[in-house]
Amino acid sequence: MNKGKIPFSKMAVHGVLISGVCLTAIPLIYMITTALRPNAKLYEYPPRLFPDSVTLANFRYILFEQNFGGNFINSIVVALGTVVLAAFVASTLAFVIARFEFPGRNLLFSLIMGTMIIPGMVLILPQFELITWLGLLNSRIGLILVYVSWVVPFSTFLMKGFIEDIPHEFDEAVYIDGGSVGTLFRRIVLPLSGPAIITTCIFNFLTAWEEYPWALTVINDTEKRTLPIAIAGFFGEHNFTQWGYVFAMSLLSLIPVVVIFIFLQRFFISGLSSGAIKG
Amino acid sequence: MPRVKNANLSRNLWIFLFLLPGLLLFGIFTIYPLIKLLVMSFFDWQIGMDQSSRFIGFQNYLSVLNDPVFAVSLKNVLVYGLVTVPGQIVLGLLIAVLLNKNIKFKVGFRLLFYLPVITSWVIVSLIFRYLFANEGLLNYLLKVCHIIGENIAWLDTPATGLLTAELLGIWKGVGWTMVIFLAALQTIPQELYEAAAMDGCNAWQKFVNITLPSIRRTMLFVVVMLSIGAFNVFTSIKLMTDGGPVHQTEVVLTWMYYKAFDTRKFGYSAALSYIMALIIAAITFIQFKYLQPNETNVSGRLKQ
Repeated sequence: MNKGKIPFSKMAVHGVLISGVCLTAIPLIYMITTALRPNAKLYEYPPRLFPDSVTLANFRYILFEQNFGGNFINSIVVALGTVVLAAFVASTLAFVIARFEFPGRNLLFSLIMGTMIIPGMVLILPQFELITWLGLLNSRIGLILVYVSWVVPFSTFLMKGFIEDIPHEFDEAVYIDGGSVGTLFRRIVLPLSGPAIITTCIFNFLTAWEEYPWALTVINDTEKRTLPIAIAGFFGEHNFTQWGYVFAMSLLSLIPVVVIFIFLQRFFISGLSSGAIKG
Repeated sequence: MPRVKNANLSRNLWIFLFLLPGLLLFGIFTIYPLIKLLVMSFFDWQIGMDQSSRFIGFQNYLSVLNDPVFAVSLKNVLVYGLVTVPGQIVLGLLIAVLLNKNIKFKVGFRLLFYLPVITSWVIVSLIFRYLFANEGLLNYLLKVCHIIGENIAWLDTPATGLLTAELLGIWKGVGWTMVIFLAALQTIPQELYEAAAMDGCNAWQKFVNITLPSIRRTMLFVVVMLSIGAFNVFTSIKLMTDGGPVHQTEVVLTWMYYKAFDTRKFGYSAALSYIMALIIAAITFIQFKYLQPNETNVSGRLKQ
């Protein structure tokens, strides 16, 4: 074995990875440094990746002179509403499909799987009409209901796979003790599918948190805007120029995402790979 | 209230109760819209109580198929897919294979590569718009390195506008494919590589003969998901070029959205949506047919 070669190949591996990380990170670093730059300096030429002076003025402006708090609360309400409703609908649906035989079971599951391949946006015309008819235009409930309908197929698919792996001996034990199907769900299936539920909740939170086209279509009032349309709207209303403000707002809106990512990273990975390996 | 004595009856009632929320939601917000969309596509559809819609048969479908901008938008989204799907797969797999080599700071690398995935489409689209602006950082760097002499109007020219969207798509998606491939790589038994090393295989031979066949199932999943994702492209185009100049960078979803909400041609957009759904279904079907691992190869044996 040629031992002299090993350090070189290790260096090459690190070289490739580090240049990859640089390419990945530069746009994000540029966002951060632009948000930290005084607005007057935005048009200085040549452009700089790192500013020579740093200020929090952009953040102060977004936090205290714009409706950022309102937009943030709208996004939180919509994302949490989506998460809770989707968890309820998907877990009950996944439970019956995974555990029981009933007429139309296979058809129902195929339909749910089939809708997974259709982009959510394809249905926004009839959904727009439906939401208008229900009087839910310009409301957070109108956002939540449609987001839930978008995320339930994948959530059901993920939870069904998980619930199928829970041993059936539990079912018999519950029934012998005089428990019902409801007891089985509440006492056994829900507690044991914790990881799958957390994974779907994270994905659904992120989906609702960042969703743009449907919110753009449904929400007209500035006070009812969620963060993605608030950011894009702010950008458009300020003649596509106030980059410092836009990126300060963007960074503030990323805080919950980064917090979730850091603390719940293992659920991201397990959720992604279970989808891949079962699929 | 009479006690239900028949255990089967009570079990069926429970099943029905558990199905109810899912059926209601799925029926009202997915199946009904799916049918309604089909109906809309055959009408000169008007939204609003007092409006009446006129049945026009296949007129909307003919308009879509004869529309030059639809053809451009379809071509654009296909090119977008042909560039971004292999781009994300090759780079994601490369990084996954390198990270799988027990290197230092593996977790840190994985986290950094994953950051663009969790950053929302709105934000990354705006970042790229700023980076690729005429007086932006990219043009400046290219000029400093003497690669270009004049600023390139990245977002104002159709070809470069799409290219920017494709670069963004790859940049944002590589972390996702990397994580999935990394999980798949970790399921390959190490003995296979040891045996191959004894047979004198080099790294490339091991990759082609062991790694690739072992992750075929994952590869199918990734190809299908990324292709569907490519058809989903909307926010980046909307915020970076808004389909311009003169609709030359439209993709199917931005064109559908423009026709519906800017020109009120709901019937046209409904027909376009159906055509698009059919195209996606056909592509997914073909991918399953030709990429499905056949059970006699390595991956089939490994997964039982």
